[in-house]
Amino acid sequence: MATVTFDPYLKLEHAAGFADVAHEEKERLIGKVMADPRFPHYLYGCYECGICVAACPSARFYDFSPRRIAQAAARQDIDLMFQQMEEDIWECSQCFSCLRCPRGNNPGGIITIMREVAVEEGRKSAKAALEGYSRIIYKIMSTGTQVSPDMLQPDAFPDWGPEVKDVSENLSLWRRALPPETHHTTTTGWEVAESTILELYVIWLETGALDMIKEVDTGIHMILEEIMEERLEEEGIEL
Amino acid sequence: MANSIVAVIGGGPAGLAAASTAASLGTEVVIIEKLGFLGGRPIEENYASLTPHLRSAEEAMGEVIDHARSFPSLSVKLNSKVVSASGDAGNYTLELLTDGQPETLEVGAIIIATGFQHFDPGRETQMYGYYEFDDVIALQDLEAMLKEGRVQRPSNGEEPMRVCFVQCVGSRDRQIGNEYCSKVCCGVASKEAIEVKLAIPGVEVFIFYIDMRMYGYWESQIYWPAQEQHHVQYVKGIITEVLPKNGKLLVRGEDTTMGRPMEVLMDLVVLSVGMEPSVGTREISQILGVAQNKYGFIDAPKGPLDTVATSRPGIFAVGSALGPADLEDCSSSGGFAGARATAFLSSLARA
Repeated sequence: MATVTFDPYLKLEHAAGFADVAHEEKERLIGKVMADPRFPHYLYGCYECGICVAACPSARFYDFSPRRIAQAAARQDIDLMFQQMEEDIWECSQCFSCLRCPRGNNPGGIITIMREVAVEEGRKSAKAALEGYSRIIYKIMSTGTQVSPDMLQPDAFPDWGPEVKDVSENLSLWRRALPPETHHTTTTGWEVAESTILELYVIWLETGALDMIKEVDTGIHMILEEIMEERLEEEGIEL
Repeated sequence: MANSIVAVIGGGPAGLAAASTAASLGTEVVIIEKLGFLGGRPIEENYASLTPHLRSAEEAMGEVIDHARSFPSLSVKLNSKVVSASGDAGNYTLELLTDGQPETLEVGAIIIATGFQHFDPGRETQMYGYYEFDDVIALQDLEAMLKEGRVQRPSNGEEPMRVCFVQCVGSRDRQIGNEYCSKVCCGVASKEAIEVKLAIPGVEVFIFYIDMRMYGYWESQIYWPAQEQHHVQYVKGIITEVLPKNGKLLVRGEDTTMGRPMEVLMDLVVLSVGMEPSVGTREISQILGVAQNKYGFIDAPKGPLDTVATSRPGIFAVGSALGPADLEDCSSSGGFAGARATAFLSSLARA
């Protein structure tokens, strides 16, 4: 539904950070978002009061507005929603401060659905947004635990600040400066019990969580699938 | 000795509530109605349904009229107008013209229930073209269509697929002189928007507003269902101009919360006209010598804690003769004045 003839929020083709697609394709993608069973519980009507923007940490640092997310969805503005799916939704930190909406809307939840669709569909925007996380995805899914800064590509997260690199290089020293003794390690933080890992592999495979990244990172998906299936086979676990 | 009759001038929702209340307290009441029927604006202007419950206006007003007529001490003069008045509290003499015949009515107290009229969109200072374009209509025109069960573009009889309401036409406007909010138009427009949505499958309905004023229960009774169940699109921004384009109407405004100018094509534009004092309200204030406020409604000098007393003792005003009012206001102030007039007459009788 085009409600306007001129729209500064809709970027001109040469200025947009994403390639335009046919309207039918936008309808298909946004249709998938709206068909999600959570969608009607995340969007009622919008007062356009801006309380979600006032509460939103991302809105302070980016040209990002959870109100515009809710409004575009309420107005079923396919073009604007598509643009948001390609750009805006990746600026949300998914903190859900926007849940204080007096109408009971959940703009962050709408974004969750849009992100899931973007990842499933292997949209370029999803690939770009997840690029810096491929090692994290690999570590979490193969070992079942978080990574420490020394395992990251030092330049992957410029918004973490210049200290990250420095901290990564001298991590064991920094760690020993922390009061709790349990933090004095850079090697045992991701140790996970065997049984837990096996259980996680079953979960990743059975729930389709692993397949979610198939379209955005084929390489990691292949490696992980192989690791998981091999390990489960060794244990004689059949899915 | 004081006369014990109460005259109620106007037989709309507020006048009927006033008359029924006074009659139910045993007072003799005469309703003076200039038209040939009771029921006021909802009947005269062919309202389809009443806000907020979407009850048939004819059915709901029919019950109110039947209730009034059930009191033996209540009589009705139809096709009757007050042409002059004299006397004082407790002894007013009204000269009437009933069915063209002059007659005199002696009463002790008077209740003014002469109501409002819809703002004339020809006085609008924007450029909406109500008298220029067939497909620019007003709330009451759409009501009449809904009552007929046929929503169509007056220009060609086709079903409109894009309909918009423009709020605050003739209200909240210093240039026009109507600085007040007309109170009911947000609810009525939303109610009509729901009815249009129900009448035409696939129709898109927009409401362009300054701010939505859905006070009290109307919020969840009309506003939320309109948005959440019927997907009426509320856009904050007022239309400044309606132009003809390829057989449709181009409306121009700003989508203020999205921060973008709009030029949108519509099949039907509905102007949410506000309330102004009716001709009857303006005339009766002169005839009875009661003060008007700066907008021409009957002044209620005692303010919010005494809403129905006028500048003259023994004369009360009710409903939309006092200013913009919804039906709740009309029955509340009507009932209040009916009791007040009765109490006033008994206090004179005791004195």
